[in-house]
Amino acid sequence: MKEQFAAKMVRIHFGEDDRWHGKPLHEAILAKCVELGIAEAIVFRGIEGYGSASRIRHSTRWNLSKDAPIQLSIVDTEEQIARLIPYLDTMVEEGLVATSTVEAIRYSQPAGIAASHS
Amino acid sequence: MLQAGRALKVSIYLSDGATHHGVPVYSSILDFLFYRGISGATVIKGIAGFGADHHMHSSSVVEISDRLPIKIEFIETREKVDSILGKLEELTGSGLIEMQETTVAKPAQRSKPKLQMPPEHLKMEGKAKMMRIYVSEEDRWKNKPLHEALVEAMRANDIAGVTVYRGILGYGAHRRIAKDRPQFASHHGSIMLSAVDTAEKLQAFMPIVDQMVFEGLVVFSDVDIVKYAYRALETQAAQTSSSSVSAPR
Repeated sequence: MKEQFAAKMVRIHFGEDDRWHGKPLHEAILAKCVELGIAEAIVFRGIEGYGSASRIRHSTRWNLSKDAPIQLSIVDTEEQIARLIPYLDTMVEEGLVATSTVEAIRYSQPAGIAASHS
Repeated sequence: MLQAGRALKVSIYLSDGATHHGVPVYSSILDFLFYRGISGATVIKGIAGFGADHHMHSSSVVEISDRLPIKIEFIETREKVDSILGKLEELTGSGLIEMQETTVAKPAQRSKPKLQMPPEHLKMEGKAKMMRIYVSEEDRWKNKPLHEALVEAMRANDIAGVTVYRGILGYGAHRRIAKDRPQFASHHGSIMLSAVDTAEKLQAFMPIVDQMVFEGLVVFSDVDIVKYAYRALETQAAQTSSSSVSAPR
């Protein structure tokens, strides 16, 4: 099934070491997205970068947890994103949240036969 | 669609052992012909031969040799052949391309819709679109990872460039959500492809995305191209190993 809709994309930038109630912040945000039924969320780890705190962040081969830059990319309708933003306001203490207007096309299989396609 | 009647038979004789982007040249050419919607093509491996360098190549014992001559043959309309010839010459490198008039007595049956031909490569500046495609790393298309197949399809359709990102976590249209045991906890599996080109070229590519992506999300956004630089043809060695993904013909 193919559906086309106007959507918003949110990109959130912060560091891999950022925490929310003891959990990595990106995992906490992703869990919130699942809870709110957000359509698409994906977390990327950058290899180098710097952000609002002006620290150079990088991950090295030797130490994977050296506060690498994290980017979360979230896509859903404007209403859904509006529900998420207040949570981001409280959860992202140090970082950047940017939204943009996009056109989305979703391909989906009816539940049940999804796994049978190869 | 190839009809009965006049057509061109194209034969490509390859310098053996050559690679293009790390894969055998015949394989890149076959992919190129495939994604450009050529009706059909056959790769034939010779058992002995010699080429422009006048070195005799043969396998004296029964063994797999990558130094043997390779021939690729396909039959298409003259217009279609003309439209792909430039890129084909580039891919063929030091090999030989031969064409001859032929008559199609009976065209082969086609079961799939035709791939659309994109417009010619443009010098891009200003308004453009960014297309992001979200799929799963486990998705497959014709026995290869879907994201690799998409990159090949984009390359064959002259999309200016594409980058594949692997997410460390994620979920979406390509991945079911289980609230009790969130599947996103898997530390791999979410892939995003990001491509920038003109709105027309990306739209022309969408029918191919329709065919290839069964579960996933495609997102378009407006971008301004500030600079588009590519390695010019003159600076490339006339070798098949040269990078030619986004070069104009």
